[in-house]
Amino acid sequence: MSKNDENQIDHRLKILSQIEPSSKATDRAIQRVRDALINEEKSQQGTSPRIRMKIFKSPITKFAAAAVLLIAAGYTVGRASAPQPLDVEELQATLESSLKASLEPAIRQDLIVQLNEQWQSAFAANSAQLKEELHQQVRCDLTEFAAQTLAASGTLTNQRLIELVRLIEAARIRERQQVSAALEQIEQEKIQLRNGLLAVAARTNELLSTKQ
Amino acid sequence: MRDRQKELLELLDKSGANLYALLTRLTLREDIAEELMQELFIKLINSRSFDKAGNRQAYTRRAAINLAFDWRRSRKRNPLRLDQIREPASNNSSPLGKLVQAEELDEILNAIGQLKKVPREAFVMRYIQEESYDYIAEQLGKTAHHVRALCSRALNRLRNTLGHNQSQSFVKETNNVKK
Repeated sequence: MSKNDENQIDHRLKILSQIEPSSKATDRAIQRVRDALINEEKSQQGTSPRIRMKIFKSPITKFAAAAVLLIAAGYTVGRASAPQPLDVEELQATLESSLKASLEPAIRQDLIVQLNEQWQSAFAANSAQLKEELHQQVRCDLTEFAAQTLAASGTLTNQRLIELVRLIEAARIRERQQVSAALEQIEQEKIQLRNGLLAVAARTNELLSTKQ
Repeated sequence: MRDRQKELLELLDKSGANLYALLTRLTLREDIAEELMQELFIKLINSRSFDKAGNRQAYTRRAAINLAFDWRRSRKRNPLRLDQIREPASNNSSPLGKLVQAEELDEILNAIGQLKKVPREAFVMRYIQEESYDYIAEQLGKTAHHVRALCSRALNRLRNTLGHNQSQSFVKETNNVKK
């Protein structure tokens, strides 16, 4: 390899050594690892797999598990291959009585619990239905009341308006009558004034003729 | 378990930034370095070898180096993200220059990845982390003389590998021109 190539390798190694991640990225990476460590520890506390692994890795445990399996298998085979009991009816009666004795209180208790639950659920359902119906009824009543109030208020307003119109009309008529009376009076006064003026003119004529 | 967690958290505070920088240099990608750092500490929390290790910090650093080169080996030629590379040494800031430089760095890192485990660790610590021979010797549990020899041999091997690669690529190019 030439000297030039060796320098190139040195140069590349130098560049590599000068690569620096940003401080933001570094902080983020460290925080992420911190969170992961804490979570990992929590999850391992929950399951403790190391202890379980240790237990299952032990040869004694393996041997014990194998022995238990063998015994269980032998017992099952023995039970399966054993001769049938002779007195089946007696066995059935015994089984029946023992089953009754053991199961009856449990069944009774279970029944009570179930009935209670049914009652409760039915009551809950009914109460919900009643609530809904009441709600609807109240809503209907309120709507009707609102409609009636609106109608009544409309009628009242109309009556008041009619009254107002009547009053205005009456006032106008009265005003017109007064105006016509005043005009009539003016007309009469005008006639009187004319007559008076004519009388004055006649007298003046008479006076002038007597002087001549 | 709690002691291990506490110890790892202390280790993270003490040398987390250095480990992240090392992983970034070896992977050339900040996102991958972040992933690998998390993987490293998760492995350490369940590691029995970590319990046995005399120098836990050195063990962690070696594990980080191995993890980074394992990633390099396992990945299938993903395109390198140039924006991840902070390159202060070069004046060439053009996209083409960056691309060429990224290829060159990738090539040399792949060549380092081909070294054996111990020489590779010594080489990375010496030439990428720029640690002293004495410090590396202390970290690897060897003498400074031995470390010097390891680094020297690794460098020679690297030169041969890169020279061989370059001559191969030269022959390819020549053949292409002839065709």
